[in-house]
Amino acid sequence: MLNTRFFFAASVLAVLSTPASAASDCGRVTIADMNWNSASLIANVDRFILKHGYGCDAELVPGDTMPTGTSMVEKGEPDIAPELWSNSLKEAIDKGVAEKRLRIAGKALSDGGEEGFWVPQYMVDKDPSLATIDGIRAKAKLFKHPEDPSKSGFYTCPAGWNCQISAGNLFKALKLADDGFELVDPGSGAGLSGAIAKAFAREEPWFGYYWAPTAVLGKYKMVKVDFGSGIDKNEFLTCTSSAECENPKVTMYPPSLVETVTTEAFATRAPQAFAYLSKRAFKNAQLNELLAWMEDNQADGNIVMEHFLKSYPSTWTPWVSAEVAGKVNKALAGL
Amino acid sequence: MTTESWLTKFPEMERASLVAIRKGLDNAYRDFSRSWGESIEAVFDPLLMFLVWLEKLLLTSPWWLVLAAIVALVYGASRSWRLSLGVVVAFLLIGYFGMWENTMRTMSIITVCTLLSIALGVPIGIAMARSDRARSVITPILDIMQTMPAFVYLIPVVMLLGIGKVPGVIAVVIYAIPPVIRLTNLGIRLVDKEVLEAAAAYGATPWQRLAGVQLPLAMPTIMAGINQTIMMALSMVVIASMIGVKGLGQPVLKSITNQYFTMGLFNGLAIVALAITFDRVSQAYARRTQRHLKGGNDA
Repeated sequence: MLNTRFFFAASVLAVLSTPASAASDCGRVTIADMNWNSASLIANVDRFILKHGYGCDAELVPGDTMPTGTSMVEKGEPDIAPELWSNSLKEAIDKGVAEKRLRIAGKALSDGGEEGFWVPQYMVDKDPSLATIDGIRAKAKLFKHPEDPSKSGFYTCPAGWNCQISAGNLFKALKLADDGFELVDPGSGAGLSGAIAKAFAREEPWFGYYWAPTAVLGKYKMVKVDFGSGIDKNEFLTCTSSAECENPKVTMYPPSLVETVTTEAFATRAPQAFAYLSKRAFKNAQLNELLAWMEDNQADGNIVMEHFLKSYPSTWTPWVSAEVAGKVNKALAGL
Repeated sequence: MTTESWLTKFPEMERASLVAIRKGLDNAYRDFSRSWGESIEAVFDPLLMFLVWLEKLLLTSPWWLVLAAIVALVYGASRSWRLSLGVVVAFLLIGYFGMWENTMRTMSIITVCTLLSIALGVPIGIAMARSDRARSVITPILDIMQTMPAFVYLIPVVMLLGIGKVPGVIAVVIYAIPPVIRLTNLGIRLVDKEVLEAAAAYGATPWQRLAGVQLPLAMPTIMAGINQTIMMALSMVVIASMIGVKGLGQPVLKSITNQYFTMGLFNGLAIVALAITFDRVSQAYARRTQRHLKGGNDA
């Protein structure tokens, strides 16, 4: 808490001392600090660079995919969603862009996000056949349902998330119910990761949906189950990800688009800051590394931001001009 | 910034040591859950079996039979036709709006939570009333249980027992049990000393004094506690659904993430209807059984 206050005091000084031209066109900027680690890291990096490099009065506000996306379209607030998994609210974003309320700055994760059905590495080490869906079918009895010992459990995506639809459709397409599997709704993201943590603590079997880059997949090594179908992107977009899909077919998850989205008002008000956001993109491998560092040090977004800016200048300096990089480095030295 | 002293900046613990403490405790908990998790899970197996059985019973029986049983219970407890009719209408509406299954799931888990809270809470309350030392130990624990944000203990419980009904019941009971304990204690302590002396003078044993004098006289207060417990258990339904407890909480969560306001409202109202049913029935039952306390003119 004290740290934030110091940042705030420092930022007031910074705003006062930077030339009026830079500060005035950017103004007050709100950045959605999503409730998962990678997004929080990116949000903190954006805040620091916008504040010290572009003289914006940048501020973090708590966020989550659905509420933040909806609020940006409807109310024009917050200004920036640094890591938005746009598949999950594709329609709203498309509409927002068409109505000139939103502008897409670019990819936040250059390789895209990775989704799939996973099993723990320790199970595959013992039985390599479990890396394929046929192997899992054959050993369905291993994956006990938490409430009904006669059934097998597949941990699906929490209720209300968009991935619940795609995971449910794939579950149907793969006809997992015929092998005795039943969908287990973990209720929330925390419930799902808690179930994974429990399975890993005791090396129990686990089979379910998850996504990367996440601290969970950085920390608990898992293997993505091969459906043997390859990726049918068209099928995925038109049917698998839609609740009205009558006859889902098997396809692997295509890499999902993870973008930085801003409000149109911010993009027109601060073109230079917007240009930075359109260049700022992370590679999954690097992000996993940072997330693992975060987990090991139990660091929050603020601390991992400092670690990132100090230890990986070659990653972030190309995103900004030399002049801005100088300002950011100066502010970093004062931390 | 360079001249920081303890006067301008709170002398906080060094980050490294703080992290060491946090990691140390986390790892200790992880080791604990690794070595004891399975045996603790086995302890709760009978509870899980009962929960699954009750839910299946409510779900597989024909709806009219369940409704008839509920109304019979309501009438038996309250002897009020108006209340029974209200319950029938509420449940018919719930069924008509497609929330019957979730309502049955919620009802089964809430019934178990309430019974468990009473079975554990009343004896603890009695112990608290009989010994000041017990009270001074239990009161701060109750304060923690009522104010600690549920997620703080929810996820550790998930790590220990997995997701689903049992951790859900534990979370609900932790949150909902304090009123019944507090009010049992209060009710017994409020019983007149003279009445107790009179009972002692008639040669009543401590057990007879408790069962025959203190508990009956404390009953109105205890019933108020049980009521509060039921209400709090129902309000925890949504939180419990965050760790995979099926029922009315899940659609509420779903509506929060997707801004389906009407769906949230309907399911919220179904929770309210359940709460009012439980509340009115238990209150009417209490009033009916305690009528003799008011001079016994209409018993």
